[in-house]
Amino acid sequence: MMSTAIFVAVAIFLVLFLLLIMRREEVEEQESVQADGSTQRECRDTLQHPGLALRIFSREDREFILLMRSPRLQRIYQEERRKVALHWVRQTSREVSRIMRTHGLIARQSRNLDASAEAKLFFQYLQLRFICGLLVLLIKTFGPHALHDLASYAGELSQLIGRALPDAAAANHVASSGNPGTP
Amino acid sequence: MSDPARLVTMNNAYDDLLRRTLSSIQSDLTRLIYLASTRDYNSGVYHHEGLSARYGPESTRVALRAAHKDIFYKLIALSLEELVNELEIYVRISREAPTGFIHTWQELEPYRVAVPMEVDSTMVQLFLSNIRLALEVLRFRQEHSQAYPSASSLQPLLGR
Repeated sequence: MMSTAIFVAVAIFLVLFLLLIMRREEVEEQESVQADGSTQRECRDTLQHPGLALRIFSREDREFILLMRSPRLQRIYQEERRKVALHWVRQTSREVSRIMRTHGLIARQSRNLDASAEAKLFFQYLQLRFICGLLVLLIKTFGPHALHDLASYAGELSQLIGRALPDAAAANHVASSGNPGTP
Repeated sequence: MSDPARLVTMNNAYDDLLRRTLSSIQSDLTRLIYLASTRDYNSGVYHHEGLSARYGPESTRVALRAAHKDIFYKLIALSLEELVNELEIYVRISREAPTGFIHTWQELEPYRVAVPMEVDSTMVQLFLSNIRLALEVLRFRQEHSQAYPSASSLQPLLGR
């Protein structure tokens, strides 16, 4: 009972922390956008270009830079991609917030509001804000290829653990042979 | 002029621009810079004498603006390696010494004015970032070819 309560408290704290990060990011971005006068270029079609994210987080580009074997180039590449990736996350988050605000204004005047659809929409919005917060945190901490790097690291770790425990394979074999459903 | 007739004129102007002018330009980056050069720095309005004489100034502006955006989107979709190749072609066409060219582009960032107006800000950031990276790659190759002339003969060289 106690451990569940702690788990829930940690989860709530994490969500609030990420939302706080996103809020701070949004304020910083708005200030910088106002400072450099780039509001004219404000996105109108970010959400219509899912391919853009693939280009920003492209593995092909990263491998091309790695082939050069220049630490300086790699550092510059990481820094450049980090900036663009953060810009993309912030912009996506800001754009969705703007859409939700507009939707909220319209919904307030609507007479036949579908409560379940609204709740679902709001939940999806919270999910997206949470993912954006997580992405900002990951990109800032581990770089633009954070998810791929973390997955690779997890793979390497599991291999290391597998090698460190020589009897694990035998134990697995015994476990699977004991299960008649397993080939 | 009615709306359908205007649309046909705009399409004709666009096709003419692609067929006669842009097809004779060697690379997409060079096309982008050419199209940006037809835009007035202060007003942002596009001008082209030949096209205007044939299709009128309004259709010409729309055609140039559309072509500018289309080429920009094509460049955004390129991988970094492909963009480096595009930049390499542009350096060759410019007939400037590669070292001087790279230095000037890194200092002045003239490619910033090649960006069309009213495009997504992340795309702009990605384009500018990719050009900066492509310049760094060319610089690295240039320095590498000077340091190891025999080894670099196996690689595609800048300014060959």
